[in-house]
Amino acid sequence: MSTVLAELSDVSKSYAGIPVLKGVDFTVRAGEIHALLGGNGAGKSTLMKILSGLVQASGGAVRLGGEPLSPATPAQAQAMGLYLVPQEAHIFPNQSVLQNICIGMPKAAGAYRQRVEELIAQLGVSLSPDTKAATLEIADRQIVEIMRGLLREAKVLILDEPTSALTPHEVSTLFGHMRALRAAGHGLVFISHKLHELRAVSDRITVLRDGYVVLGEDMAASADHAILAAMSPGVTALDARAGNREITGAPVLELEGLGGEGFVDISLSLRAGEILGLTGVVGAGRTELAETLVGLRPRSGGRVTLAGRAFTASGPREAVRAGLVHLSEDRQQYGLFLEAPLFWNTSSFVFGGLPFLLRPGREKTRFDEYREMLGIKCAGPEQPAGSLSGGNQQKVLMAKCLAAEPKVLILDEPTRGVDVGARNDIYRIIESLAERGTAVLLISSDFDEVVRLSDRIAVMAGGHLAGELAGGAATDDVAELAFEAGEAAHA
Amino acid sequence: MLDRIARDRVATLLVVTIAVFLLVGAVAPGFLSARTATSVWSSGLVLMLVALGIFPVILTRNIDVSGGSILGLSAVTLGLMLNAGHPLWFSLGGALGAGMLAGAANGALVAGLGVPSIVATLGTLGLFRGVMLIATNGEWIEELPEALKALGAKSIGGLSVMGIVTALVICLVWLFLRSRRGRWVMVVGDNREAARHLGLPVKRVVFLSFVWGGAMYALAGITFAAQIGFVPNQAGSGIELRAIAALVLGGVSLLGGVGTVAGTVIGVIFFTAIDTSLVFLKIPAYWNDLIGGAMLLIVLLIDGRLRIALEARDRAARYRRSSHKTDAAEDQGGAA
Repeated sequence: MSTVLAELSDVSKSYAGIPVLKGVDFTVRAGEIHALLGGNGAGKSTLMKILSGLVQASGGAVRLGGEPLSPATPAQAQAMGLYLVPQEAHIFPNQSVLQNICIGMPKAAGAYRQRVEELIAQLGVSLSPDTKAATLEIADRQIVEIMRGLLREAKVLILDEPTSALTPHEVSTLFGHMRALRAAGHGLVFISHKLHELRAVSDRITVLRDGYVVLGEDMAASADHAILAAMSPGVTALDARAGNREITGAPVLELEGLGGEGFVDISLSLRAGEILGLTGVVGAGRTELAETLVGLRPRSGGRVTLAGRAFTASGPREAVRAGLVHLSEDRQQYGLFLEAPLFWNTSSFVFGGLPFLLRPGREKTRFDEYREMLGIKCAGPEQPAGSLSGGNQQKVLMAKCLAAEPKVLILDEPTRGVDVGARNDIYRIIESLAERGTAVLLISSDFDEVVRLSDRIAVMAGGHLAGELAGGAATDDVAELAFEAGEAAHA
Repeated sequence: MLDRIARDRVATLLVVTIAVFLLVGAVAPGFLSARTATSVWSSGLVLMLVALGIFPVILTRNIDVSGGSILGLSAVTLGLMLNAGHPLWFSLGGALGAGMLAGAANGALVAGLGVPSIVATLGTLGLFRGVMLIATNGEWIEELPEALKALGAKSIGGLSVMGIVTALVICLVWLFLRSRRGRWVMVVGDNREAARHLGLPVKRVVFLSFVWGGAMYALAGITFAAQIGFVPNQAGSGIELRAIAALVLGGVSLLGGVGTVAGTVIGVIFFTAIDTSLVFLKIPAYWNDLIGGAMLLIVLLIDGRLRIALEARDRAARYRRSSHKTDAAEDQGGAA
């Protein structure tokens, strides 16, 4: 058996008296990729924060390379050969890529320029060390984080949901990097909600639930249903697609030759009660299209017809009034008021319709209705939205959209960073919305998700519409179309 | 060239400042002279030192509004010690120590106890002023020794000792921001979580930036006392807001992580130049605030508008490029 690089034994942790980890054992060996899985709130993040010195354990021992981690600080953990690549890359937007990588190193950045250039070549990425970090794409920010770890000669790299904001193409590139690091003798911890991703690269799997290790074995020896059952008893798989529905509603949203920032000549039509999946690789222009529809970006040409009338939104407020509601892909930044109570969030889209003097009682009753309907797990309407898990936050956002009674609902990546249980709930919510006559434009990079939900599938690449597929098309066909068109656009 | 000026706040401000000098020079003969230059420099010293003190604090995404009170406290410490018969060097050390101690109190509140910096320093703004008033029984300190006044008087090449000290401090800050530790100050304000994550001593950086602030306000207090020869009750009152305005004018972002020494210096010179010009133009001094405030707004508005216009242009260009690229790719695909 290969060397143990990192070891957590009998680690426990409580926040304000509430136990989050209850005696967890976890090891990372040289030359392995160790998958870590668990629902939202299972304790994965806390466990990894303890391993990397960001959080102090309440009990148990942390050892890196055989030595106890003391003092338990990020600087010490890094000095002992461990680096945590967080889910959201920590970037200094006003500094260069080189500075971003080298901050915190014992010498000034100039001393590491050559090494950083070697790493860039080694990873085969097109990044300039002198680019200002504010201009980097999400995937490149992640690469910067990984290079930080490599420059610090980390033997153990923890990747916390590195794929959640990446397209399938970028994911396979990342997996290439991960395999190369494994071959070089590094130990990697890979956290993800997506089982097929974990299976693609991992050697071992550990599943956490409610602060306990409920499954720990070789990846090859564990079946999907066993893993899912361990993670959330009762949910053994994502619900299957219901089958093709007949869409009889009238067209509510029609785009004719619409152009804008990052896309040109898009023609689509969407009927009442229909779910249209819009997919593609990053840079396809999907998010830009959605933001242009609601008036967040300027339009450069074409026509939009909403419910039979020509429609131009000067901003989201007007779009909501006309029945077109958009849910951004970035729920933390553009979706929720994180400090505000939940019922403020559900009312926020229809704020203009509330009386001059607010009636919090009614707002709370309204929230409680949504809470029951959507299965939002929370302490009550007064709880701050930021304290909910990702899946529940997403449900609150759905409630917010429902309150606006949309004719057309645009959902941009509605299940990013959401666990299997909550994902099933969200799928059901989307389907029941469509059944009640709402037209849904579902933007997603997750081809399985698009196939699972959509009545029709449109694929975008490089700002153009690359093709349309019928509902129930094979996932591979969708992926093939998206990649081929994507490659052509990037050539 | 125009592009560069629009992109660089320091350059914009430099152009505006030169324009102001030339304009006033055209109206008031005798304004454009070496004498005016040294007089702008020496009358701007106190503001310059306070601004250099707040600068690192703002870079770490904090704020310090107690600068004027610490200035007063240090000046009073200096005056009381001198009038009690202590030697000059010892009294100067005492004043500097008082400033650093006050800065350390701010730093402990913000970095140690986690009090938001605006709340903490609003509190100490009153507290330090109160300590100063109690120490003097509410009276002014007068008849400071000539040895102190000499520090503020022009001696070497039209510059005072304090003027030279200030120039050295500017060089020191400039050098520091080019050092590895200096970069820490910038990045703590740029993204605090990221800095913590990378193992930087975030709290120590914040604490020391407040201590540095205290030391600079003390130097400002010494300069103030040396220049006017006495210490009034309201010494330094309100100067922190002028310093913050000068910093913002010089392109220092109140959101932290962005700012240059050159911008700080030119921001302060701009404000002082306006004050000095008003004297030459024989406009009563009580107009200073109105004109200074109006100029601040005008420069910031022009700067902001230019920035928005440039960003829109860049964005349009970026999307044009990317759609050209896809068109070209399609043509190739069609040919194949």
